[in-house]
Amino acid sequence: MSIIEVKDLVKTYKIIEKEDGLRGYVKNLIKPKYKEFTAVNKINFNIKKGELVGYIGENGAGKSTTIKMLTGILTPTSGKVIVDGIEPYKKRIENNKKIGAVFGQKTQLWWDLPVIESFRLIKQMYKIPEGEYRKNLKNFTEILELSDLLEKQVKNLSLGQKMRCEIAATFLHNPQIVYLDEPTIGLDVFVKENIRQFIKNVNKQKNTTVILTTHDLKDIEDVCERIILLDKGNIIYDGEKQKFKDIYGKSAIAEFIVENKTSLIKNNINIRELKIIEETDTNLKVKFSHTETTIINIVEEISKYCKIIDIHMKEAELEDILKEIYKGAHTNVK
Amino acid sequence: MLNSLLMLGKMQFRQYSIYKSNFYLFTLNRIVEIVVYIFVWQEIYKETGEAGGFTIAQMITYYILVFTLSSLATWGVNEEMSYSIKNGKINKELINPLSYFQYYFGINLGELAFALLVGIATFILCSIFWSVSLPANIINLILFVIVIILGIPITFFLQMIVGITGFYTNSIWGMQILRKSVISIFSGIIAPITLFPNWFQSLANILPFQELIYTPINIWLGQMPLKEAIFIIIKQIIWGIILYIIAKKFFNHAIKKITINGG
Amino acid sequence: MTKIIYGIKMYFIFFKASLKEMLIYRLDCIVGMVSQIVTQLVELIFIWVVFQNTQSISGWNFMQILLLYGITLISIGISDLCFDELYQIGPEYIKEGEFDKILLRPVHPLLSIIGASREFTALGHLLLGVIFTIIMLIKLAIPITFILILKIIFFSIVGAAIIGAILTIFSIASFWTYRANEVMWSFYKIYTFTQYPIDIYNKFIKILITIVLPYAFVAYFPTLNYLGINYNMIYLSIVVAIVLWVIAIKVWNWALSKYRSTGS
Repeated sequence: MSIIEVKDLVKTYKIIEKEDGLRGYVKNLIKPKYKEFTAVNKINFNIKKGELVGYIGENGAGKSTTIKMLTGILTPTSGKVIVDGIEPYKKRIENNKKIGAVFGQKTQLWWDLPVIESFRLIKQMYKIPEGEYRKNLKNFTEILELSDLLEKQVKNLSLGQKMRCEIAATFLHNPQIVYLDEPTIGLDVFVKENIRQFIKNVNKQKNTTVILTTHDLKDIEDVCERIILLDKGNIIYDGEKQKFKDIYGKSAIAEFIVENKTSLIKNNINIRELKIIEETDTNLKVKFSHTETTIINIVEEISKYCKIIDIHMKEAELEDILKEIYKGAHTNVK
Repeated sequence: MLNSLLMLGKMQFRQYSIYKSNFYLFTLNRIVEIVVYIFVWQEIYKETGEAGGFTIAQMITYYILVFTLSSLATWGVNEEMSYSIKNGKINKELINPLSYFQYYFGINLGELAFALLVGIATFILCSIFWSVSLPANIINLILFVIVIILGIPITFFLQMIVGITGFYTNSIWGMQILRKSVISIFSGIIAPITLFPNWFQSLANILPFQELIYTPINIWLGQMPLKEAIFIIIKQIIWGIILYIIAKKFFNHAIKKITINGG
Repeated sequence: MTKIIYGIKMYFIFFKASLKEMLIYRLDCIVGMVSQIVTQLVELIFIWVVFQNTQSISGWNFMQILLLYGITLISIGISDLCFDELYQIGPEYIKEGEFDKILLRPVHPLLSIIGASREFTALGHLLLGVIFTIIMLIKLAIPITFILILKIIFFSIVGAAIIGAILTIFSIASFWTYRANEVMWSFYKIYTFTQYPIDIYNKFIKILITIVLPYAFVAYFPTLNYLGINYNMIYLSIVVAIVLWVIAIKVWNWALSKYRSTGS
């Protein structure tokens, strides 16, 4: 049974075309030019209760726009979202009682007041029963290590501390669905880890459905079971994480610092699935596939033409993987 | 729901009172204005002895009451709303289990509580320097309070209308000043309405603003026949409903338009 | 000297950037200007109502009061235009962490901030002020000589500088509280006293506006000169502006060093 159904969802915006230079600005002042921009282009997906879904894509791919339609903040241009039987943008308040959301670093906590007061307000607004509130507060305080923070004014918290409190506030009323839009942005590794643990924990205990958008692949790796990948408003991948990982793990980038180069390596080297990204007299950057070759093999090949001074291995960037999957998705469909 | 609203109000009030300096400064501002007005009028009364049916003593009481009430009439949630829209906090407000109006009404209560505190402090401080006449009798005092309370929905919905323009423009600062100025002119903050020309008085009679300042002060001073009170109350209720409908319609339009940080 | 020229150059670069930024939000700009004028309407209506009941206030007639009003508006307009960003040090720069970036720039932070002022709606004030000044000079039959125009321009800028210095001094409150803009505004608003002849006030207020917060030098004493009532006090304005700025910069640097040593 799906708790979220998305059917042919479209959102287009009108944006002002900006021109450069002071003249352009003045022109803009008098008669602005508009152009239409499709943020989300007829997407479809269903999410089951208790699923942990990673909703990913590059900047401007349409992630936040989708999340805002799912939460009912934005109204779709066309198409439909059904969350637990209702269209959220039509019955916003009814929907709000069942959901929770984090939007980047924006916090709902009251800046000048101790954290606990914001929690009490949430308890009041969502009518959380006393027992339930105490239980959750105790549980969350433990996992997110909040005990020293609750009595502090929000303005005195660090970003990581604030986010931990914000996450706790979001889950306090036992929402059925939680939307997390970039919850880990700008946080250090320990806080990220802490938050991931928390999300998994609550999901297991309460069967909370979680939809997570992030730029940090580690978030997806640790938390999500399923991935929906968005590119320019279209879904280009929707499936298990394992498959995503297969592709992810396959390619890597190696950077060599070399000297005494005898010839252009680009013309000589021949290894399957290996691409030279960059080549100068002292530098060589290659992309290769773990399934086709090993780093030892590459080193052997390259050292025929030069002396290797240093090697740096790099994990593939999110963008590389996105492109990789993008290619794969096309062939899979056909 | 009422409890949630009161709690929101309480939190907003506490948020204010953390900065005690605010309280002193706001009171100081009011006193500066009162002093200017009173000194100017004293200068005039030296020559004329009378203006608009007010004696100098009444005029002094008038301005002290103006600035006791002016924050109640002009403060509210505008800035808070616009700030939220600008920095994206609005997203969090829209997923509250309270409606947008309810949420801000709660916050507004906190603002008004603080405004009341500043007003009372202004009143007390001024009554040390000048002699302030007390309400004509207890019925007048009760009516004074009723008219002021009925003004709350009027100023609130006006605040909402101005705040919602923040969905369309980057800054509502201009609109906000416009709102304050219109209230200042038509409520009698600048001067008693009777000092204005007739056409202005008829316009002020139709608009809902003189009930925020001029009318309650007149009731306090015992210058208004009490049988008019019922008409005043009906007028306030009608205006409250009209402004509510406008604000609600405007919000429904605006909410469809939001494109905040779409990404 | 080169440091000052560099500073001025940087100021105009910042100024141009903020002009562009402002033009993007055209609606705000138009509404802002209109509302500036409407705010002034409030003050004007009061003056008008007052003169419905009297011929003069402590010897000043309607037109003389309006001239004082116009001259005040010009200075207020210039100072809003140039110093408005000072209000944002607390709520925008320090609260949002922008201030630390400004500390990294190769210009004095005060200059960076003042240069980012973009309150172009203040042009509404300026325009209204110029219109009132011209009309009232004509109506009062004061000959508009080249010298007078130069004098008005020069002393309006001096007046704006006085307001700017006072704002700068009070802006240091931003280093302790985010809501310092309210502190600043409270002390800024005291200029309201000087929109009327200072003779109507008691001794305490006179001392306040001539010595403690010398707003009387912004427009009141200059107007006395233009009206031919008192010729010499106007020149003290220059001294007041210079002294205030020396104090302002000293105080600001002191507060900045305090802020730097305690951190945020």
